[in-house]
Amino acid sequence: MNWSLFFGELVSGLTLGSIYALIALGYTMVYGILKLLNFAHGDVYMVGAFIGFFVLQWLGGALSPAVNGWIAVAIMFAVAMVGCGALGVGIERFAYRPLRNAPRIAPLISALGVSIFLQNSALLLWGPQFRSYDTFDLIGVKSYSIGNNFFISNIQILTICVSIGLTIVLALVVSRTRTGKAMRATSFDRDAAEMMGISIDRVISFTFFLGSALAAAGGVMFGLVFGQIFSLMGFTAGLKGFTAAVVGGIGSIPGAVLGGFLIGLTEAFATGYLPGGSVYANLYVFALLIVMFLIRPTGLLGSPVIQKV
Amino acid sequence: MKKVVVAATLAAALAVLATAAWGSTKGSSRVAAPANAGNALVKCGKTRSIGLLAPFTGPAASIGINQVHWANFYKNAYNRSHKTKIKFVNEDTMLGSANGTAEAVKGAQALGSNSSVLGVVGPAGSNEVKATTGALKGAGLGFVSGSATNTQITLDGTRTGFFFRTVPPDSSQSKSVSAYIVNNLKLKRVYIIDDQEAYSTGLADEVQAQLKAKGVTVGRDGVSQQQSDFSSLINKIPRNTQLVYLPWQLPPKGQAFGQQMKSLGRNGTKLMGSDGLFDPLFAGLGSNVYDSFFPVNPADARVAAFKKIHHGTELFGAPSYVATQVVAGAIDRACKNGTASRAEVRAQIKKTKIAASASLLGLQVGFDKHGDMIKKPFGIYHSVKGVFVRVA
Repeated sequence: MNWSLFFGELVSGLTLGSIYALIALGYTMVYGILKLLNFAHGDVYMVGAFIGFFVLQWLGGALSPAVNGWIAVAIMFAVAMVGCGALGVGIERFAYRPLRNAPRIAPLISALGVSIFLQNSALLLWGPQFRSYDTFDLIGVKSYSIGNNFFISNIQILTICVSIGLTIVLALVVSRTRTGKAMRATSFDRDAAEMMGISIDRVISFTFFLGSALAAAGGVMFGLVFGQIFSLMGFTAGLKGFTAAVVGGIGSIPGAVLGGFLIGLTEAFATGYLPGGSVYANLYVFALLIVMFLIRPTGLLGSPVIQKV
Repeated sequence: MKKVVVAATLAAALAVLATAAWGSTKGSSRVAAPANAGNALVKCGKTRSIGLLAPFTGPAASIGINQVHWANFYKNAYNRSHKTKIKFVNEDTMLGSANGTAEAVKGAQALGSNSSVLGVVGPAGSNEVKATTGALKGAGLGFVSGSATNTQITLDGTRTGFFFRTVPPDSSQSKSVSAYIVNNLKLKRVYIIDDQEAYSTGLADEVQAQLKAKGVTVGRDGVSQQQSDFSSLINKIPRNTQLVYLPWQLPPKGQAFGQQMKSLGRNGTKLMGSDGLFDPLFAGLGSNVYDSFFPVNPADARVAAFKKIHHGTELFGAPSYVATQVVAGAIDRACKNGTASRAEVRAQIKKTKIAASASLLGLQVGFDKHGDMIKKPFGIYHSVKGVFVRVA
């Protein structure tokens, strides 16, 4: 057994899974409330990564930031999350709300349209070039080792911790706050919730804000860990996030996190151990989705919908 | 009855599609040019048209746009210093897109049917060169690529007299790389990672074969050009590997790979890139970085002027500057009497002689009978304080 490879892939999988989990949370929350697959979510994640990058430039760049590197990272997270939260609210207001009572295919097509709109706008505004976060210069990436086989960098630790921290905050918001209660009520029965005096529009907007903010955090994390961002990065990441949400059980917050980590680990271990894995890791990831559908159509933590017959 | 009609209509539509597909395949692989290909004379006028086949969009747009910038940089300089002007007729090849080379073929056909186009700069990729040969050759157009390096595309005789390139072939680069690894660095364990593109796999194959023949233990893997997370792949590289060779085209990816190597505690492993990674981003990774590149002089005043305009550092597109220079020069000479044919332009491309001082590549540009540059050296560079310095 090559333990160095095993632990290496474990850390890589958890890091990648942390990012997928944040994207999956947005998918699952929106689906839970609106029963809408928001395919523009991956592109919101891309916009978040770019906002983080431009904030870093505004702060003087990675080589000479106007503030301490870690404070710069915190500002990047904050601005990207607020910016993308607002973007998510805007998308819901102008692309989905007018179609709320339309057949379900209409908002789905609208979501695809928003996705392509965001992708091409990014291409037009920021060009096709890769942008580098230069994390090494910004915070000085350090590698820690336990024995000869276990290596982990400070930025990987940060990514996993931030992801878990944000998930806990989200869980607390949903389970312990008044707005969270309204979100759960809306998810359970939108019409009944409205009759109880809950402002559905406000709840849906807040859901989009939260989901988009989490995607933005994922985008900034991606830039910090993997160094590069580009305008087409949202498509595949969005698909993986969606897959994570489905594998975990779409509509379930713990399921989205579990699915994210499972997809990340599958990708990492497929790369490390399976034939052609470094090239065809996505094949294994999406094969997992198919297998999951066959064995457990509702996902790992999803509950079957009971229909009145 | 209705079903029969629908079925018949569908069958007919399928037949038409199949015929069209077969025809287009034949068209793209057809390489014999008509006897009078490109003999029609056109009035040159004050503004001459050059086709520019490049990946303006698509997965390879990040490198394509660098080539377009360099080509336009030459065009603008030319237009400032000449009474006659040149303009580009742009066609997007979408290199690396799901459509394969279909967009490149469409673009080549459009250029072929545009009678004002006298010569073509591009396409960028070797597969695209193969795919567009039928359309461009059939229209009598000469085409000069600034990045297609596959060894065979000039040697197989399919496009001789029509296709030229301002970059040395992979065979030249692989020899320099393997010789330096064995003779100068004296390494015994090398890992090669290609990026699954024709350029990369071709070069990787050649270096791998040459290193193995010299007794070096070579590991091999591949990764998608769109990938940004290399950590899982890095975990697979044996810890006793002395050098990782990356024949890639995207400098930011090379930089990301190097940074992720460091963050995983692999500081001691040397990295060597190909011409696609010859960039300060890759050089900035530290003193264990090497690269191979044609001898573009980074201190050339034109490089500084380019950087001023585009705020970019990538020199990958510099040969496209020279390709434009070749085509524009050939059109100038062919147009001396006020008219020119595509055949005349091709003949003039063949006769190109650009002095080393004017070529930007740091060497005299002229073509041999295959369409390759007569002088095609590849230098080996070592990163010293973030700048590549030639060492072989």
